[in-house]
Amino acid sequence: MKVRTARNQVEILAPAGSMESLMAALQAGADAVYFGVEHLNMRSRSSNRFVMDDLPGIIENCRAHNAKAYLTLNAVLYDQDLNLMRNICDQAKAAGVDAIIASDQAAMGYCHRIGMPVHISTQVNVSNIESVRFYSMFSEVMVLARELSLKQVEEIATQIEKQEIKGPSGNLVRLEVFAHGALCMAISGKCYLSLHSHNASANRGACFQNCRRKYHVKDAENGDEWMIEDEYIMSPKDLCTIDFLDKVLDSGVKVLKIEGRGRAPDYVHTVTRCYREAVEACFDGTYSQEKVAAWKEQLAKVYNRGFWDGYYLGRKLGEWTKDPNSQATQKKVYIGKGVRYFDRIGVAEFKMESYELKPGDEILITGKKTGVLESVVQELRVDGKPADSAKRGDSITIPLGRKIHSSDKLYKLVTTAE
Amino acid sequence: MIGITYYRHKCIGCRACAEHAPQRWRMSKKDGKAVLLEGVQKGKVFNAEVHPGELEPNEAAAQNCPEKCIIIRRH
Repeated sequence: MKVRTARNQVEILAPAGSMESLMAALQAGADAVYFGVEHLNMRSRSSNRFVMDDLPGIIENCRAHNAKAYLTLNAVLYDQDLNLMRNICDQAKAAGVDAIIASDQAAMGYCHRIGMPVHISTQVNVSNIESVRFYSMFSEVMVLARELSLKQVEEIATQIEKQEIKGPSGNLVRLEVFAHGALCMAISGKCYLSLHSHNASANRGACFQNCRRKYHVKDAENGDEWMIEDEYIMSPKDLCTIDFLDKVLDSGVKVLKIEGRGRAPDYVHTVTRCYREAVEACFDGTYSQEKVAAWKEQLAKVYNRGFWDGYYLGRKLGEWTKDPNSQATQKKVYIGKGVRYFDRIGVAEFKMESYELKPGDEILITGKKTGVLESVVQELRVDGKPADSAKRGDSITIPLGRKIHSSDKLYKLVTTAE
Repeated sequence: MIGITYYRHKCIGCRACAEHAPQRWRMSKKDGKAVLLEGVQKGKVFNAEVHPGELEPNEAAAQNCPEKCIIIRRH
């Protein structure tokens, strides 16, 4: 690997769509997290979207883990939204948010006025050095368009250094790219499909994901039907760059974004941890194909539509998913909820609500304070007595190395073939 | 009379209701979400009883709401 960037300059930016995912990201070693509040961001339809009152709690958690917090405010804005936009920016600044990720010039302009750092969202589709120069008036971190090849990214990074393009704070502009997660068939996410079919604008964060369905394409004029084979022609596979992460870092990229504010905490935890390890490996010289294979195995366990390397290696469009559902090799089944934790003896109590549990089973616990905790059941007790299995309604205790909380959810991990 | 129920916390401020039934829906300048005119708040929900003559535009509003947070009831 060429030494172009120091480890402490590289940031792994993980998604936090809920308090559980936020904790999962922080525990897995994210350098920064991004999240939205209220409805002016690209995941506005998320059922557990954060509200303004959540800001102090989010920031407190980030500070405790020495991570930065970025707030997404990247929906298309209309006049009616300007007050809320200003309100979000003001409150974000007061709460100590490190930057706002914006795509609308109204948000960029306002943040600039109040001295709030801005990151340019991928929605802006920054694809060349002159765009970088233009937006450097407002921002020193820019998410490049996902459609660029690594060569193009590298050229932009080189020119930023050569031409000394600096952001408002006087530092050189830093480039951010998407490293992992779902891709959209539309250029930089600017898609009209969902609005057309459900009046739900993707550009207001309400995407219905029509592209993930199966379609016949027929030319109505001559009746030709496209030969599509068995593919979902509008649904790209998920982006995965872990097997060429050294090249991504060589291109001069400083921030690696992981997509997935709509994903479960265990997904966030696994992906963040893998990329964190991969970045460390790139810098300490231990990045190897064996390690890549191990990370890919981990990544395949959580939600995915199959992987491809995006546009970075200059490959042509056409890596469509074969299946609309996740191709994860492992799934989690909800089996119960947390009751209490006995600190002194390191034992957790759960109430079983469905399915069954046996010693040797792999379990996953998620919660707002717990984040994500994976373990294997070593010893199982039902109502205080050793047992070979537990079923619905049972009160169970299992030894666990870390504290759990009463609202936590207990899952059993099973392979998807089961 | 017809009843309109509006789950405001789900609103994403798309404006569809205000375009279809402007006599009953406005966009708030405060938070960018829709406001049900003469709606009475009960917890997170707003309710209004309106004349049947308003049925058509409000049904269009409900139908076009991407969050399905407007419910119309005929009494």
